[in-house]
Amino acid sequence: MATTALHPAVPAYRSGLYEWITTTDHKKIGILYVVNSLLFFFIAGLLALGVRAELAQPKVQFFAPDVYNQLFTMHGTVMIFLFIIPILAGFANYVVPLQIGAPDMALPRINALSFWMLPLGGILMFTGFATGGAAAEGWTGYSPLAQRAYSGTGTDLWDVGLVLIGTSSILGAVNFLTTIFKMRAPGLTMFRLPILVWTVLVTSVLVLMATPVFTSALIMLFIDRNYGGHFFDPATGGNAILWQNVFWFYSHPAVYVMVLPAMGMVSEILPVFSRKPLFGYKAFVFATAGIGALGFSVWAHHMFTTGAVFLPFFSLMTFLIAVPTGVKMFNWIATLFRGQLIFATPMLFALGFLTMFLIGGINGAFSAAVPVDFALHDTYWVVAHLHYVLFGGSVFGMFAGLYYWFPKMTGRLLNEALGKLHFVLMFIGFNLTFFPMHMLGLAGMPRRVADYSANAGWSDLNLLASIGGFTIAASMLPFLWNVMLSLRNGEIAGDDPWEANTLEWATTSPPPPYNFDHLPEIRSERPLFDLRHAGAAHSALPAKYAETHS
Amino acid sequence: MFRTTPTRLASVLALTVVALMASGCASMIPGLYPPTPVTAQGHDIGNLYDIVFLIAAAIFFVVEGFIIYAVIRYRRRPTDTELPPQIHGNNLVEIIWTVIPTVIVAYLFVVSWQTLNTVEATSQNPQVHVVAIARRFSWSFEYLGPDGKSLVNGPDGKAVELPGTMVVPAGQTVRLSLHSPDVIHAFYVPQFLFKRDVVPGHENTFDFTVDATDAGQTFRGQCAELCGVGHQGMSFEVQAKTPAEFDTWLQQQITQAKAVPSPPPSGKAPSGSPGASPSAPPAAVSLDLTAKNVAFDKTSLEAPANQPFDIKFTNDDQGTQHNVDIHKDSPTGQVVFDGEVITGPDTRLYQVTPLPAGTYAFVCKVHPTTMIGTLTVK
Repeated sequence: MATTALHPAVPAYRSGLYEWITTTDHKKIGILYVVNSLLFFFIAGLLALGVRAELAQPKVQFFAPDVYNQLFTMHGTVMIFLFIIPILAGFANYVVPLQIGAPDMALPRINALSFWMLPLGGILMFTGFATGGAAAEGWTGYSPLAQRAYSGTGTDLWDVGLVLIGTSSILGAVNFLTTIFKMRAPGLTMFRLPILVWTVLVTSVLVLMATPVFTSALIMLFIDRNYGGHFFDPATGGNAILWQNVFWFYSHPAVYVMVLPAMGMVSEILPVFSRKPLFGYKAFVFATAGIGALGFSVWAHHMFTTGAVFLPFFSLMTFLIAVPTGVKMFNWIATLFRGQLIFATPMLFALGFLTMFLIGGINGAFSAAVPVDFALHDTYWVVAHLHYVLFGGSVFGMFAGLYYWFPKMTGRLLNEALGKLHFVLMFIGFNLTFFPMHMLGLAGMPRRVADYSANAGWSDLNLLASIGGFTIAASMLPFLWNVMLSLRNGEIAGDDPWEANTLEWATTSPPPPYNFDHLPEIRSERPLFDLRHAGAAHSALPAKYAETHS
Repeated sequence: MFRTTPTRLASVLALTVVALMASGCASMIPGLYPPTPVTAQGHDIGNLYDIVFLIAAAIFFVVEGFIIYAVIRYRRRPTDTELPPQIHGNNLVEIIWTVIPTVIVAYLFVVSWQTLNTVEATSQNPQVHVVAIARRFSWSFEYLGPDGKSLVNGPDGKAVELPGTMVVPAGQTVRLSLHSPDVIHAFYVPQFLFKRDVVPGHENTFDFTVDATDAGQTFRGQCAELCGVGHQGMSFEVQAKTPAEFDTWLQQQITQAKAVPSPPPSGKAPSGSPGASPSAPPAAVSLDLTAKNVAFDKTSLEAPANQPFDIKFTNDDQGTQHNVDIHKDSPTGQVVFDGEVITGPDTRLYQVTPLPAGTYAFVCKVHPTTMIGTLTVK
C-alpha cells in the first residue's frame, strides 16, 4: 500500500512549550484536549476515591458532610464537563479532519480558543476549595439549594466555570459542523462518512441546540445569586422547577453528547478487528439521528418525582429512545457475527463497551416505567445506571479509542500485555463498584449521603463497591506505565498498524502538518480497505498482516 | 503484534468469565428485588417492577449471550487467512430488530401507564389528611380535618407540628401534602416503593393506604433529595396503628397540644428567610457555646430540667459550617433538638424546648465524630 514519503515518526509530542500554547493544528489541539481531560479524569477519580473511602463503612471517618458534599459535586461536574465531553471532543478534533481528508478544522483559531477555555473553567471551579468550599449542591446544582442563602462563593465559581466550558462546547460544535459540511475530500459523500464523523455531526447539532439553553440558565442563576434576580428562588417569587427544566433540557441531550461519539469510536473499531464492514451502515446513521432527535423530548424523565411534569409523554419518549439504541446494539453484534475477531486491546475495550452499555440501557428502562422510578429515583440505583452508561459506555469506548488512535497520535504502539491487564482490572473493578449499587438503591439507600446507619444493612455492599473503586484506580497504573513506556521506546507503529479502513491511516503516524501528501480514491466508507484489496481482494493474506503475524 | 492462540484464548476466557459473573449476579442475588411493599400503591409498583425485571433479565441474557457466543465462535484462528464474507447489512433483519424492540417498549409503556393511573389515583374523601413539613434538616407533621384546618392546635389556636414521626391508620386512605419552607427535599419511604419531591412553592399531594395487616409496624423514611450538610441525617418514621388506636392517639395529641404552650420552631429559620433569628423573649437560662478550629470550646454543659433554655452559639470558623444538635443519652441517640447550620463567622440564639432531666449529648451534625460534648439536664 501507499506509504507517504514523509519521515514516519515526526516528534510532535517533543515540540516546545511555546509551540503547544500557540498551536492551531487540530492534531496538537486534539492531543491537548485528551491530555487535559485525562488530568481532570484523574483528579475527579481521586475525588470519587474520597467518596468511596467515606462510604466503605458507616459513620463519618474521613470527610465531614460539608466536605463530602463538595467531593461528589466536583466529582460529577468534573467527570462530565471536563473529562467525558472534552475528551471525546478531543478525539473528534484529532480524528475527524483526518477521516474526511481535510488539512485541518475549518476554523483553527476558534479551535484553539475553545480548547483554552477548558483549563481556565476548570481552574476557576477548583479555586472554590480555597474560598471556603467548592460547590456542594451536586452536579445538578438544583435551586434553591444553589441560591446565595444556602451556598457560598464556590457555587459562583462553579457557575462561571461552566459558562466558559459551555461556550467552549458551542464554539467547538460550530467548528465541527462547518468542517464536516465544507471540508470533505472529493468523493467523500455524506453516506461514505465514517460513523464516527456521523456521530460527531449529530453530537454537534445537539450541543448547538442545547448548550445555549444551559448557559443562559447558568447566567440566570448568577443573576439570582449576585444581583437580586428571582428566576429560580420560590422565596422571592421564582420557580424552583424552572431550573430543573432548563437544566435537563441541556443535560439530557448532554448524555448523548457523552455517548454518541463513544458509539462512533466503537463503530470504527469493531469492523477493523472483525475484518468485516460495519453491519447496517445506513441503519446506524438513521439510528444516530433518531437518538439525537428523540434526545430532546425526554429531559423530564429526570423529574418524574417532582409532581410538575406530564408523566405519560416523557415515559413514552424515554421508552422509544431505547429502539434506535437497540438497533445499534444489534448491528454491532451482527458485525461480530461471521467475522474473524482479533482481541487486541482496542477490541477488548470495545467489547467491554457493548457488554456494559447494554446493562446501562436495560437498567435505564426501569426508570422509564414511571411508577418504578418512584421507587428508584435519587437512590443508588440511579448512580449504578448512570455509571453503566457513562463509565461502562463512554469511558470504555473512550479507552478503546485511546488504544486505537494512540499509534496514530504518537507513532508508537502501546504494549498489548499491559493494555490487557488494564482492561481486565478495570472491567472487574467497574462491576464490583457499580453492580452492588443496584441493590443498595433497591434497599433504599439515597444518593448523596455522607453517612448511613450501621443497622440499615448497607455496609457489606458499600464495602464491596469501595473495593471495586480502588480496583479501578489500580487499573490506571498499568495504563500510565504503558503510556510512558511506549512514548520512550514503544514499537514503531507505521502508517496503518491495525489494517484499518479510514483515511487517517493513509498518512504517516503521526501525520505531518496539513495531514496528507495525497489522498487515495474514495469510493466507499472504507477507502483504505478498497485500496488494500483492490484487484486481489478476498484472496491472499494482506502483506502487512503476514509481516506482523509471523 | 496480533498474539497467538493461547493469549487470545485466555483473554476471551477472562472476558467470558467476568461477563458470566456479572450476568449470574442478576438472577441469583435476591438483592435485585425491592423491599416487600406495605401500601396498596406499593404492591402495584412492586408488580410492575416484576414485569419490567423479567423482560429486562430476558433481554440481558439473550443479548449478552449473543455477544459471548460471537466472541468465542468467531475469534480469529490461525487458519483464517482469507477475509471473512464482507456482509454490509440486510434490510429484513433491520426491520425485524426495529419492530421487536418497539413492540416490547410499547407493552412496557402501556403497563406502566396503567400502574401509574392506579398509583396516582386520589380518593374522594380520604380518612386522614396529613401535611408533612420538610425543612433543613428535619420532618414534622400536621394533621388536618375534613375542612382542611389543623386538628392539633396550641392554646393560641395555632397549628402544632408533631416532629419526627408520622402516625397513620393502617387500612385507611391517607392523603399526604408535602410542604417545604426552604429548599427541595423528597419524601421517601423505601417500603412504600415511593417517593415524591417536597418543592418549595409547589405543594405535592398524593394518597396512600398502608396494608391493614401492617398495623403496629414502623417504617423508616428519609429525605432523598440533597438539601445540604444535614441531608444524610434527615430521617423520619411512619408508624402504622389500627384505626381505633390511631383515633385515640390523635385525640391525645389534640388535648396535649391545647394544654402546653406551643413552642416556637426553635433553632429553625422561619420560612422564606433562612438566616434570620427567631425573635422570641429570651429564656431564663442562656448557655454560651463557641465553635472554633472545628471544635467546641466546652465539652460539657448544664441546663435546668423541664424549662426552656437558650444556647448562644458562635461559629468562629471562617467559611465552615457548624450547628448544635442535642441527642438523647448518647451522640448517636434520638435527636431532640436540631439547631440551624450556620457558616462562620456567625452567631445564633438557639431556643431549646423543655427537656426532661437526664444525660444528653450535644453534637455538631456537620462534624459528628469530632465535635461532641455532654449536656446534663437536672
